[in-house]
Formats: sequence, structure tokens, C-alpha cells
Amino acid sequence: MLGTVYTGFGYWDVWSWAAFFAIAAALVLWLRAQGREDYKEGTDQDEIYWSGNVVPEEGADITVPASSAYWGFRKAMAPFYKVLTEMHTGIGTDIVGCYVVVVALMAVFVLM
Amino acid sequence: MNWNAHLPALLLAVPLFGAFASPVLSPFGRTTRNALLAGLSFVTLLVSLLLMKSVLAGGTAVYVMGGESTGLALPLGMKLPIRIIMEVDAFSAFMAVCGTVASFAGALFSMNYMDKFTALGRFVSLYFLLTLGMLGMMITGDIFNFFVFLEIASIASIGLIAFWRDRPEAVEASFKYMLISQVSSMVFLIAAGALYGKYNALNMAAIGGLIKPGTMEKLALVFLVGTLAMKCGAFPLHMWLPDAYAEAPSGVSCLLVAVSQASLYGLMRVCFSLYGVNLGGAFIPWVIISMGLASMFFGVTMAVVQHEIKRLIGYHSVSQVGYMLLGLGVGMLVLTDARGMAEYGFTAIKGGMFHIFNYTMYKALLFLAAGAVYYATGKRDLNELGGLARRMPFTTGMFVIAAAAISGLPPFNGFVSKLLIYESVFAVHPALAVVALVTSVLTLASFVKVFQTAFLGPEKSSFTAVREVPAGMLFGMGVLTVAVLVATLFPSWTISNLVEPAAKALVDQAGYIGAVMGGGL
Repeated sequence: MLGTVYTGFGYWDVWSWAAFFAIAAALVLWLRAQGREDYKEGTDQDEIYWSGNVVPEEGADITVPASSAYWGFRKAMAPFYKVLTEMHTGIGTDIVGCYVVVVALMAVFVLM
Repeated sequence: MNWNAHLPALLLAVPLFGAFASPVLSPFGRTTRNALLAGLSFVTLLVSLLLMKSVLAGGTAVYVMGGESTGLALPLGMKLPIRIIMEVDAFSAFMAVCGTVASFAGALFSMNYMDKFTALGRFVSLYFLLTLGMLGMMITGDIFNFFVFLEIASIASIGLIAFWRDRPEAVEASFKYMLISQVSSMVFLIAAGALYGKYNALNMAAIGGLIKPGTMEKLALVFLVGTLAMKCGAFPLHMWLPDAYAEAPSGVSCLLVAVSQASLYGLMRVCFSLYGVNLGGAFIPWVIISMGLASMFFGVTMAVVQHEIKRLIGYHSVSQVGYMLLGLGVGMLVLTDARGMAEYGFTAIKGGMFHIFNYTMYKALLFLAAGAVYYATGKRDLNELGGLARRMPFTTGMFVIAAAAISGLPPFNGFVSKLLIYESVFAVHPALAVVALVTSVLTLASFVKVFQTAFLGPEKSSFTAVREVPAGMLFGMGVLTVAVLVATLFPSWTISNLVEPAAKALVDQAGYIGAVMGGGL
């Protein structure tokens, strides 16, 4: 078959996955279409809820900027990122130095 | 005249002609320049497809430059080949197809993208030179010529990265790339010279047939591996890459993705075909596996915290190269172990090889989509972007496809190649698969951030005039989207017709040597 890949440990069939996805999507859409009996159009149920505050008109005021995304992850990993960013100095001689050191270490180990 | 026999030469002649024709024809106007750029890129793509077809049907193609006959690698009475020889097996042809698709897509995209800039004759010339260098690296059978093509690609890259020379960041990125390229190229040349000094040959097949593991050979191997690993962006030698990819015009970043794969090709050619069974133990395979793991993990963790879109994608290049190094490194580890190769080694190589194809397509597409965003908004900082999906629906759609593919979401092609890698490297040690899986999760997190901040959310008042990019740019992205979707919907066909023949050619060192040397050694 065109879509089946045997990995040696199992297989992957894209068309089976697509069929399963279509069935699951149809089921989810059907459930969603049932809706809530207490919903009334044109009432305050249609209003956007923004933590109880007035929704700003300018989109930029609502958006979470990329720099704030995953702040918890970055805060938890701060020591790791400190080391990693300090490695990336962006200085040309550091880049060449790193290359020379890595090749030299490989040369030492390969001859041992 | 049998054109099939001359396809290897044509593959280099077409972009070379383009490089020299551009300064002559560009003064005739925009249409002529664009026709040259897109037309010759398309012809190069056609030649690579014909070459792939020819190699799959007739076996390895050997092309001798400047000899009595283009097919005579070893003239009567000669023990070693002395002429410039192109040797195109299924692996080379596969890489050439990947490279020319990216080159064609980048060319189509650049027609509109570069329109508002000057000196485009030089741009087209350098673009073709970069394509030439990349393809030369992929099909040459000669280690010195590999160095020459590596230099051609480096010099063209240096010019193209600094093409927007009014941006100090672009000049700095280009200078850093020049510095590291020149130092590493000299190291490569020392290794090639050392092999030539000992074996009296520059042809890789000839050296592969003669080589014996010794001190000089081991040092030469380390020099070659170090240089090519740096060129393909492996950790910790990757530091030039995010700057270079971010500062180059997007059509060039798209081509640079394929050029870095040419270096990966060189790395694999050196390890599998030049040294092969003479690699001398498991040290080099483990170096490559370790570099792969480190590239994956550190590349993606650096990407997660970036907020400049092309720089973020650049760090993902480091991470994705790690998958290929891991898969191909595991294959290398069991090169002399027939059982290991049959059980998981060959699957790992197929996974790595399929990932080369997938990576080239979706990563090139991501760079083009980022370029489209920059073209439409003039912004690259994700903090300043938002709500673009309404204004740029086609770009958004293609970005989503590429982002899902690179994140390894089923059913996309990235998932299939990663699945092959996960399952096969697990057999060596479960930790290898765990690192690969964690990397994939972080990749998804990173692209969710890009999608959410750039394309979703409420529209910003500063972007009310933003429109979808011109048709040429969409068409360039469309070429790559089609490639991603074909590999997604027909993975078995792609693997059987493109990946598996390439993987078989890579592990067949005797076949590579025999195509040039016959029974001569």
C-alpha cells in the first residue's frame, strides 16, 4: 500500500490514521452541535470573558507577547539557560576557538 | 547524442551558466532576470530528477571530465584515476533532488521578495553559484573537488548572507561565517592533502579501496568529520548558524538549508564510503551520535526562548540536524555488524535519510513563510506580530503544515521519519529515543508559540493594511508544501523510491568503490 510504512518494530498507515481522525472529528463535531440547552443568543452569554475585566479594543493590549510565553519553563530552567546563553557569545574568535578545541579533543581521543 | 550520459555534467553546467549569464542578462530588465532565475532553477531540478531516474534504472553513474571517454574512469595502464570524476549513486542523486527542489522554491520566492532591492544581477549570480557549490559537493567523486565546491558554496554564502549590507547584523553574521569557514576549510584541505600524500590519489573510491586505519588516517578522519559537522550545524560547532540563517534573505535561507545538507552528505560519504569498514572502532560513530543528541536537545531549548522568528527557526535547524546525525550515527555504529544492521541499523539509516528529505522541505518552507511575514509586515520580532491569519490565509496555512511536520505531529512526514529513528535508536539504548522524543515535544511547544503570537490573536491596528504576499512567493512556498504533502500521504512510495535506494547506496562501500575502480584494486 502507498501509505503503510513498516518500521521493523511496528507500522504506520497514514490512511488508517486519516480514517480514525475523520471518525473522531465527526463525533466531536456532533457532540458540539448538541450545544447547551440554557444558551440564549444575543444575551451577555455572547460577551467575551477576560478575567472579569473590560476587554481592550486594541488587539496588542490583549496579546501575550512571545517573550512572555513559557515564562514558568524559563524561570524553572534559569540556571540551565544562564550557562547556555553564556556559551553563545556571538564573538567570532569564540566560535573558531570552540571549533579548534572540539577537533583537538576528538583528535586526542581517537588516538588514545 | 545520449543526454542521459551527460546528466552529471549538465547538473553543474546549468547553474554555472546561470551564474555567468546573470550579470550579462540582468541589465535587460526584471523580466529577463526573473526568467533566468526561475527558468534555470527549474531546468536544474529537471536534470536532477532525470539523473535520479537514470541512476535508479542503470546503477551508479560515473562521469569523467576531460578524458577520452566520459565513462572511462581508469584508462588502460593506469592503476588510479587521475581525472576529475563525478560519481552519482542513488544517495548522491537523492541529495541532488532535495537540493534542487529547495533551490527552485527559493528562486521562485526571491523573484518578488527581492524586487525592491538593487544589485539583483549579483544576487542571481551568487544564488546560482551557491546552487552549483551545493550540487558539486553532492556528486563529486573526488575529495579535492569536494573542497573546491565547498569553497564555492562558502564564498557564495558569504556574499548572500551579507547581501543586505546596510544591516550591520548581516555583515557581522557573514564575517563570522567567513572566519569559521576559512579556518575549517584549511583543516579539510590538510586532511585531503594528507590522504593524497599517502595514497597518491584524490578520488574517494580509490582512497576507499586502499585506506588502512593508521595514525594519519585517524587524524584526517577527525579533521574531515569536525569540518563537515561544523558546516552542517552540529552542536557545539553551530554558533555561526542562527546568525547566518536569520540575516540572509529568506530565499537564500531556504537554499542554505539544502547547502548544510550537502555538508551532512559529505560527512556521511567520508564515514561510510571513504572509511567505511576502516572507521577503526566505535569512537567516531559515538561522536556523531553524541553530537546528534546534543544538537537536538540544546538546539531546541535555545529555540524555545527566541522571539525573533528566523533566529528561532535557525536554532531549530541545529535541532533537526541532530535527528539525522543520530539516525545515521546509529547506522554507522553497526556498519560491520550484519545482525545489528539488519535488526535496526538500516532502519535508523532510512529514518535519517527520510528526515533529510523532510527537513529540507519543511525547514525551507518555514524560512519562506517567515520571509513572507517579514515582506508583508516589515517585522521579524514575534513580540510585534499578531493576528496575521486573517490577512495572510495562504501563508498561515502553509506555515501550519510546515510547523506540524517539523514538530512530528501525525500524520505529517516529520512524524514518519522520526518514528523510524525513535524505534531503531531505542534498540541501542532507550535514552537515545527519550532525548529525541523530548526534543520533539519542545519543537511543538516552540512552534505553537510562533503560531499563536504571529498568526492568531486579535488583529493589531498597525497591520490593517497588510495583504497576502504576491503569487510568485506563494508559488515558491507551494512547491515545498506539495513536497511535504506527497511525503505525508505517500510515505511508503517516498521511502521505496527515494529513501531506500539512497540508504542502500550509502552502506554499499564496495559498490561505491567498484563503480570507479572496477576490479582494479
